[in-house]
Amino acid sequence: MNNLITIGLPSKGRLKEKSLDFFNKNNLTILSSNKERNYFATIKNKPNIKIIYLHAKEIIQRLGDGTLDIGISGLDLLNESEKNLQEKIEIKMKLNFGGANLVVAVPNDWIDVQTIADLEEIAFDIRLKKNVRLRVATKYPNLTNNFLISKGVTQYRLISSLGATETYPFIGSSEIITDITSTGKTLEDNNLRILKDGLILKSTACLFTSKASASKLKVLLKLISKKN
Amino acid sequence: MKLKNLSEKITKSFKSSGFTLSEPAVLLDSEYIIQRSGENFKRLMITFKDDDGTDMCLRPDLTVASCINYLKGKAESKIYYSGQAYRRSGSSKGKLINEQLGIEIFGSKNKLQDDFMVIKTIIGAVKKVKSKKITVKVGDISLFKKLIKSLEMPERWKLRLIRHFWRPVYFEELLKRLEKNSDIDQVAFDIDSKKFDEMKKMNKDKIIASRTIQEILTRFNKKIKDPRSFNEGKKIVNIIRSFLKIDCSLSELDQSLLFFIKKNNLKKNIFEDLKSIKNLKKLNQKIKFNTNFGREIEYYTGIVFEIYVDSKEVARGGRYDDLLKSLGAKKNLQAVGAAINLNNII
Repeated sequence: MNNLITIGLPSKGRLKEKSLDFFNKNNLTILSSNKERNYFATIKNKPNIKIIYLHAKEIIQRLGDGTLDIGISGLDLLNESEKNLQEKIEIKMKLNFGGANLVVAVPNDWIDVQTIADLEEIAFDIRLKKNVRLRVATKYPNLTNNFLISKGVTQYRLISSLGATETYPFIGSSEIITDITSTGKTLEDNNLRILKDGLILKSTACLFTSKASASKLKVLLKLISKKN
Repeated sequence: MKLKNLSEKITKSFKSSGFTLSEPAVLLDSEYIIQRSGENFKRLMITFKDDDGTDMCLRPDLTVASCINYLKGKAESKIYYSGQAYRRSGSSKGKLINEQLGIEIFGSKNKLQDDFMVIKTIIGAVKKVKSKKITVKVGDISLFKKLIKSLEMPERWKLRLIRHFWRPVYFEELLKRLEKNSDIDQVAFDIDSKKFDEMKKMNKDKIIASRTIQEILTRFNKKIKDPRSFNEGKKIVNIIRSFLKIDCSLSELDQSLLFFIKKNNLKKNIFEDLKSIKNLKKLNQKIKFNTNFGREIEYYTGIVFEIYVDSKEVARGGRYDDLLKSLGAKKNLQAVGAAINLNNII
C-alpha cells in the first residue's frame, strides 16, 4: 500500500489535454474510465499508480497535505499559495505548455500611466486628493502585494476577484487589475493595457512533487526525466 | 516590579499631568484600518470575520485606536490609555501582544507647548518606575521634507523621496537610482499623440476607472513637460546621505546644521522652526539629536523622539498632524503623542 502513487492532473481544458499528452509521450499511457465524467484514471501496466482529475488550484493544496504525490499545475498557483504550503512542494520540471503571464493592467484611456512609477504617483495622488486608496482587483493577492510593494506602490487596496476581473475597472469595482494572460487578447478586448514594466510572473505548467513522497517517487521520476 | 504595579504608577503620573483616561475599542473594522494604512500593513494585523461577515481586527496600534475613539466623540482631547496592542512583528520571535501605556493630545493648537508637555510627561512617567539613567533621542521628520524642497531636481523625484522616506529599504533603492541618474521610469515615454488628440475632444468630465478625462490629460501634459534627463543625481544623493548622518548633542544642533548647510552650499534658512526641539533644553536631560530615525512609522510629520534606559528603548512618540484627517476628521486636527512599551521596562 505504501508504494501506491497518486497523481493529480488538471480536470479541464487545454491544461488537461497537454498533461495527458505529456504522460503519453513518456510511455505512461493513461487509461481513463469509459464513464465520461469519472474523475479517476490509471496508467497501463502500472497498477501502483492512481490518477485523479482535480482543479489546478486543488492540486497544489493536495500536494501540500500529502494526498497527492505528483501533480501538474501552474507555477502561478504555487507561488500564490501560502508559504508553509510552498515549502512542502518541489518543482520537478517546468513543462513547455500552459505558459501565461501575471501582469498589471490599467484602462487603455489612462494614457498618462505607462509604467509602475506612474502607478505609484497616481496612487498617492488619489489618496491625497480623495482620501481613498487605488483599488486593485485580482485573483492573486499574495503575488500582487509582493510585487507592488517591492516597486514602491503602497497606497492601494486589494479587491479579491473570482473571475472576469477585466470588467472591474469599468463597473466601478476597482481602478486597475492584475491578471493572468497568455495572449493578451482578453485584456485588449476589454480596453485594458499592460504596463510596460508590469510583468509580475512568467508562469508555465510544472510537474510538482510532494517533498514527503520523494523516496517512493524515485523510479517513476527517472522514467520521466529520461525522456525530457 | 510587577506589571500591574508598574502600570498603576505610570497612569497615576499621566493623570497628575492632566491627561484623562480613554478606553479605545479592542475590535476595529479592518477595512477602515486598511484604507488608512494600506495592504502591506494588513499582514501585520490580526484579523477575522465576525458573524455578519465583516472583516474585523484586533487593534494593531493604540494611537490609531485612540484617534478613532476620539473621532467618535468618546474621549477628551488630552488622553492617556493603558492596554494591549496586537500586531504581528514579521518574525517568529517577535511578540504578538504589546503592553502599551501612552498619552495623546488631539487637536493640538500650541505646538511648542504640547510637544514639550508630551515629552516631559513621558520622561516623568519613565522616571517613576526606572531610577537608572535616561537618555533621549530626538529628531524632526519635517526637516527632511524642507531639505528636499530646497534642492534642485525634478519635481517627481522630490515627491518620490518624500513619499518613501518612511520606508528606509525602498528609500535606499531610490537613492541608488538617483545616484546613477537612472529614473525608476526607465522605459522611454511613448507619446501617443493620436490618442491624446482624440481624448482632447472627449467630454472632460467623463470618468474612466475613477479618474476624469481632465485629470488624465492634465497629468499627461505635465509629464511630457517634466525634464527626463537629470545629471545632478550624485551630488543630491551625497547631500541627502550627509544629512542623514547628522548625529549630535542638542547643544551642538545649531552648529551642526550650519556646518551642513555651508558645506553643501544650501540656503541658510532652510531649517527654520527648530523651536520645539531647542525647547527641550529645559528638560535638563541628556539629549541626542539625530536626523535618521522615527522613519518606520508612516504617520509622523514633525518632532519624533525615543527614550532609552541603558541601551533599551522604553518609549517613543512624535507629532502626527495628518493622521486624524486621514482617519476621517472633517478638518485638519494636529496631534502629538507618545507611548511607553512596558515589555521593555520589565
